[in-house]
Amino acid sequence: MDRLRIGIVGAGPVAERYHMPAIRGVPEVRATAVVDTDADRARHFADRYGFPLWTTQLAELGGTVDVVVVALPNGLHASVSCELLSHGIHVLCEKPMARNITECQSMVDAAKRGGAKLCIGHNRRFRTNLRLLKQLLEKGLIGDIVRVDAEEGSKVDWPRSSAYFDPVRSGGGSLMDVGIHSIDLVRWFAGEFRQVEYSGNATPSVVESDAELRFTLANGAQGKLTTSRSRELNKQIRITGTEGFAEVGLWGDNLRIRSNKGKAFQHFRHLDAYVSRRPAADVSFVLQLGNLVNAIRGIERVLVDGEEGMAAVDVVCRAYGVAAVAPVLHAGVSVGPR
Amino acid sequence: MTKSHIPAVPGAATLSKEKPLSPAVAVIPCEDHNNLLGATSQLRQLMPALLPSVLPRHVVIKPNLCDITAWETGVTTDPSWLPVLTAELRSIRSDVEITVVESDAVSAYKTYRSCDETFDRLGYRSVARECGVNLVNLSNAEAIEISFKDVPYAVSVPMLLLEEFFFVSIANLKVHPYERMTATLKNSLGLLTNADISAFHPYLSTMISQLHTLCTPDLCIVDGRIGLEGSGPIIGDPVRMDTLIFSNDALAADVTACKLMMVPPEEVPHLRQVAGDLGRSFSGFQTIGDLHPRRFAFDPSRGHRSILLKFANRRFHRASELFTNLLVDRFIRFKREPVAFATQAIPKIARRLTRG
Repeated sequence: MDRLRIGIVGAGPVAERYHMPAIRGVPEVRATAVVDTDADRARHFADRYGFPLWTTQLAELGGTVDVVVVALPNGLHASVSCELLSHGIHVLCEKPMARNITECQSMVDAAKRGGAKLCIGHNRRFRTNLRLLKQLLEKGLIGDIVRVDAEEGSKVDWPRSSAYFDPVRSGGGSLMDVGIHSIDLVRWFAGEFRQVEYSGNATPSVVESDAELRFTLANGAQGKLTTSRSRELNKQIRITGTEGFAEVGLWGDNLRIRSNKGKAFQHFRHLDAYVSRRPAADVSFVLQLGNLVNAIRGIERVLVDGEEGMAAVDVVCRAYGVAAVAPVLHAGVSVGPR
Repeated sequence: MTKSHIPAVPGAATLSKEKPLSPAVAVIPCEDHNNLLGATSQLRQLMPALLPSVLPRHVVIKPNLCDITAWETGVTTDPSWLPVLTAELRSIRSDVEITVVESDAVSAYKTYRSCDETFDRLGYRSVARECGVNLVNLSNAEAIEISFKDVPYAVSVPMLLLEEFFFVSIANLKVHPYERMTATLKNSLGLLTNADISAFHPYLSTMISQLHTLCTPDLCIVDGRIGLEGSGPIIGDPVRMDTLIFSNDALAADVTACKLMMVPPEEVPHLRQVAGDLGRSFSGFQTIGDLHPRRFAFDPSRGHRSILLKFANRRFHRASELFTNLLVDRFIRFKREPVAFATQAIPKIARRLTRG
């Protein structure tokens, strides 16, 4: 079968750091075209990574690519993805899927219209330790989930464009940007969010750097999600069940489990899944792109499709208490029951 | 992995309530090698508490199938145990699910032994079919990689260990070139899913001790009808001993096996390690029945000392490799992000040194 021609829209640090190694790690795709509004950056990216085509115009992609990675600021995800999807070009769109449900729905509709696959970049579902945890939870290792606590915060960041801090262009702050990973994982592990209560330090002109989300899940489990761009927090999710607990690292490869009934836990308080001293590079982006390629070829389904991406954005929007139509300014506390 | 000294496991403690309070051993003579049923009946009369009165739904039996050779050689476990144990266990709980487990292996002579072929050729497949018992090749089963303290490699264990089950270990009475003797405790090495465990040999004692904690046998059987003397564990001559050892404690069973073979337990590295880790001595358990010991000929190959030296050398090399990796990692990190290194790593190292 011919290799799929892949393009990148948005030649920024996310594309460079995460998606380029993934493209190199999936032999079924061939780097073909790069698009960026900054011509110098597009040309430099194309030269450096061996893309035969570069352009500043999205429209020029038509007919040259089969699948595109959209790595743009949040506010451009929907418009660019819809344009591509409606022309039958498969899209891997970075998270968050879009700023609100209306935009998300338009992407899902465009994918249906164009008969194209849409994959949302919740790459963490492909991390080894998180996949193992999912497998163990499905086996009922810790019983019924009763509580979920997630934390992710770091002061270390790369230079961001002003769009990341503008509430209108980004759709949200640390909860939308960082917390959405944990929201997606909590949904994957434990089910839908029923009720959310948000607090954050956003101002009318700048998105929040710190956010806290208290929530109740559909199965009655309660939990808390804390995210920060200004503080170092544990990067982990702790899931407590009726029969034990699991702690899983969001940045590292660690997974700690405890079950009240397992043979291995008769004498050990908990069990740590092996953490390599020299861990291999994060392969989640490679596996994510591989999943999309396989879905395009009809071998498997997209793990995080448009509906899944939209559900995570829905939780953030309910937390912010914003209308589904457009992002509005948000600050302080709001409660958003379904 | 962290070892717990707190019995904070209400679910897992259910079984131990039914056990005798202290480790106990029953030594049963078995001159008629075809009468295992009679031997277990005798056990029930002598020390009924060694057999469980309640069982979880699942029972796992681990025989010793380290080579494709008949049980009369003293190397492997007799498949005749399956019908005997199945009947015994089903009399306690009729709906019990019994699984026999073993894994693939690469022998000391670097020959590959398929567990499935072993099941077939030693008659386990047909006996298991008759008894309604599952046979599982752990090397093909779902596994999880964990780390053992002081073992610098990942250890792959089956996910089965995360489930609740009653564990029966059926071991042989054999000499062993590195460990002097092998019985119940070392039998658990077959729970590792890796076929080639030669990388673990320099860490054998600590591996065996931690595996014992990870998957403690609830019923230990050392089949001493026929033992193996010579080089071991697959090379040597069969010795007729006509003895079965039953215990609720692997250390007690193996110490009794040592006595039977006239091997001082102090000379067995993994017994020293397990006793030390558990804070126990080689005595302090109740024994019923008479032992008729016989000194097992131990004929370690000429290279025995050089093998031990090789293991020490490997440990040193691995430790120095890891230490160098650590230094290189830190240096690279420092070069890449000096500020982050200074603000995060240095205080962490300082704290560790202060604690140390």
